Amino acid sequence: MITPQSKTLNLRANLVRAALAAAVVCGPGLAHADPAKDLQVAGRALTFLENGPTGRVVLGVVFDPAKPASVAEKNAVMAAIGGGYAAGAVTLVGKPVEADDVAGAAGVNAFFVTGGVNYGAVGGAAKARKIVTIGSAPACVASGACVMGVTTDPKVEIVVNRSAAAAVGVAFKAAFRMMIKEI
Amino acid sequence: MNKTLLLAAAAASLALVAATGASAQSIDYGSLEQMFNEPVTTSATGSPQRASQAPVDMDIVTAQDIQRSGATDLPTILSRVAGVDVLPWSAGTADIGVRGYDTTFSPRLLVLVNGRQVYLDFYGYTAWSTLPVRLEEIRQIEVVKGPNAALFGFNAVSGVINIITYNPKYDDKSFVSGRVGAHSYREASAGGSFKFGDRFAGRLTGGVSKQDEFKNSIPSALGSDERVTANLDTVTELADKLELRIEGGWAHNLENTVASGAGYLATKYVASDLRGTLNWDTKIGALQAAAYENRLRANFVDAAVVVNKVQVASVQDLFKVGVNHTFRVSAEYRKTDMPVAGDGVIKYDVKSAAGMWNWQALPKLAVTAAARYDDLKLQRTGGFPAGLAGFASNSLWDRRITLPSYNAGVVWAATGADTVRVTYARGAQIPTLTALGALSTFGGGALIYGGNPTLEPTIVTNYGVSYDRALPEIGGSASIRAFYQKSKDIIGSPDFAHPDITVPVVVVTFANVSASDMRGVEATLKGAYKSGVRWTANYAYTDVNDKPKAGYTSATLIGKVAAYALTTPKHRANLNVGWDDAKWSVDGFVRYQSKFQMNDVGLTRGALEQVDGYTTLAARVARKFDQGFTVAVSGQGLTKSRQRQTSGLEVDRRVFLTLSKTW
Repeated sequence: MITPQSKTLNLRANLVRAALAAAVVCGPGLAHADPAKDLQVAGRALTFLENGPTGRVVLGVVFDPAKPASVAEKNAVMAAIGGGYAAGAVTLVGKPVEADDVAGAAGVNAFFVTGGVNYGAVGGAAKARKIVTIGSAPACVASGACVMGVTTDPKVEIVVNRSAAAAVGVAFKAAFRMMIKEI
Repeated sequence: MNKTLLLAAAAASLALVAATGASAQSIDYGSLEQMFNEPVTTSATGSPQRASQAPVDMDIVTAQDIQRSGATDLPTILSRVAGVDVLPWSAGTADIGVRGYDTTFSPRLLVLVNGRQVYLDFYGYTAWSTLPVRLEEIRQIEVVKGPNAALFGFNAVSGVINIITYNPKYDDKSFVSGRVGAHSYREASAGGSFKFGDRFAGRLTGGVSKQDEFKNSIPSALGSDERVTANLDTVTELADKLELRIEGGWAHNLENTVASGAGYLATKYVASDLRGTLNWDTKIGALQAAAYENRLRANFVDAAVVVNKVQVASVQDLFKVGVNHTFRVSAEYRKTDMPVAGDGVIKYDVKSAAGMWNWQALPKLAVTAAARYDDLKLQRTGGFPAGLAGFASNSLWDRRITLPSYNAGVVWAATGADTVRVTYARGAQIPTLTALGALSTFGGGALIYGGNPTLEPTIVTNYGVSYDRALPEIGGSASIRAFYQKSKDIIGSPDFAHPDITVPVVVVTFANVSASDMRGVEATLKGAYKSGVRWTANYAYTDVNDKPKAGYTSATLIGKVAAYALTTPKHRANLNVGWDDAKWSVDGFVRYQSKFQMNDVGLTRGALEQVDGYTTLAARVARKFDQGFTVAVSGQGLTKSRQRQTSGLEVDRRVFLTLSKTW
């Protein structure tokens, strides 16, 4: 016998079945985080700097040529940037920079530090030049070598090292600061 | 009270002294949303937060959701949010409740546009058509479940709906739209963004619409359904880090409202508002000063005229101390008045102080505590109607109501994908101006429709626990929320034979008639795929238990329109399946609501009518063309030509053809 209660239960069961069926039928989900996502977040985060950059921003992609993982990440980031990567009010332009050349790399507005690089030395050189450093390795930010750490998988997380930010003379806008983690 | 204020002031002062040199900025929702890959809100604590980190149960309807909905009004869009009940009384009128307790002139919901209260003070309800905004200019609709009174003040008891429009400083949005449909539906709307130099930006929108009323099956004397709106929003950068936002709106609409016991009322609303907000980035934080005025003139059946004015002024400071502490301190003054019978005026003013503290206690654990203190002074001036002059005195309305409200939440981001949230909230629903003192007489004073200045506020306490999980495997998420809510001193609608007042005439008036508790659970599951397919399913269960006060019974609560255990459906569910590619967008929406009872909309309020459980189907198919043109066919209530969803008029099937251009 069909009662109003059983109709309700049936509908609920059908809704759940429909959702699960859709999940199975429609195939694999969206892709995991990739360098393009990291760049998108990093680029937009730069626009929340007080008096931050707009327009063309040259991102020095710092890598260690002796470490394959670092080189691979550099290549992936450069490929994602291509001829120019629009992220909000900025367009990122990539420039590969070997870790030992950070102090002398010309025309760079910010550094993206790939994994495996001796980030202590890179951070020191960048601070001396008052240039913002961004990295995906949490240790880089925690140590103060990177001003900002960006991860996008499984969700976007941004961490800013306030001492490192102060050392390069930058400050982030208040709304942004209230939505990220600061250390 | 003095100690409370002193402590609050001392805490604020200490915090201000210790504040770092923050340089704040008005919120650029779009950039933040794109960066964090999720909506951003300020409706939870007053501080900008990612939706997933807000210490409240909240759902956000995005501009894309609105566009895909195919809906022509806000209630239809909101009906698809988990736990939201909608009573569509007529083509242009609906009452909305969050997690139950929906009724005619639903009074437990606070509705805002960019933080400006738009619910109608005189009777505590929202006439949705009086909102001056067009759907095309809405960035997102934030639906907070449960009380959020520590931020927004009293009346944010069942929930808060904050409608956020595009900010002309950041969002360049222009549109023109034309829509025709069944039942003589006609709508035209347009809006344009503009800038003068680098320091001034604005947006002007407006629109007109007209449609036939639902088939008059009551039958009742029904009027027409028409709506005209205009809205202006400007932002001026007065100086570096100092900006002024001016918003002004106007709405004129004809609709058929429903008041239980009074039936359908052909109603004409004229509403206007003006608001100024000053945002100033300083070394002591983001300072904001705002002031607004709402004006309303409502003509019910060309006879009863209500004029209501609300004025609000507020200041707040939002600042971060160190790396883990965010504070908000604020003060507000609110004044509202309404002329009543006998050349009288009923009015109150409210002074409020509030504070919020968000503490990132551990890398994965955040604690938020917020409190607000409202001090309301009620007053009546002027004369009295003939039937009351002998025994009424304005001194009866000399009353002060003080109300603390609290919100607390713990958010534990257990992993990058899992979030657990525990919340507590206490809010108050203040009696409306009408309930407190709208005196009028009928039959030469033999029958008095009276306010009751002794009414107590309804206190609502809510406990909640929720679990959210990101599901990147299906490009979606899952959430489940459980809640328990207690309401004390629920205010019943006016009825005959009031037990508390003895006067030499028959009086109908308001009273605190019951307490109530409610428990429930909500679940939402979402997925999206590279193929363009996406889906959302939600379900909400609520179980309301009424507890009549002494002198009342479950049966007599019906006459007071307070038999919420019977008038709240237990189950509601939604399923949306959609698909997009570069040119096409297709959506289908199924909504189910289980049976419930509702007060008769005629004059026999003591009777309930059963509304059987029902399922509705809505859909939209849109084709995008070059240069921003879109042609869409959409429909609501597609399975039946007419469907009973309330105790009033049956809801007609509606089909629309829309041509729009955006740039």
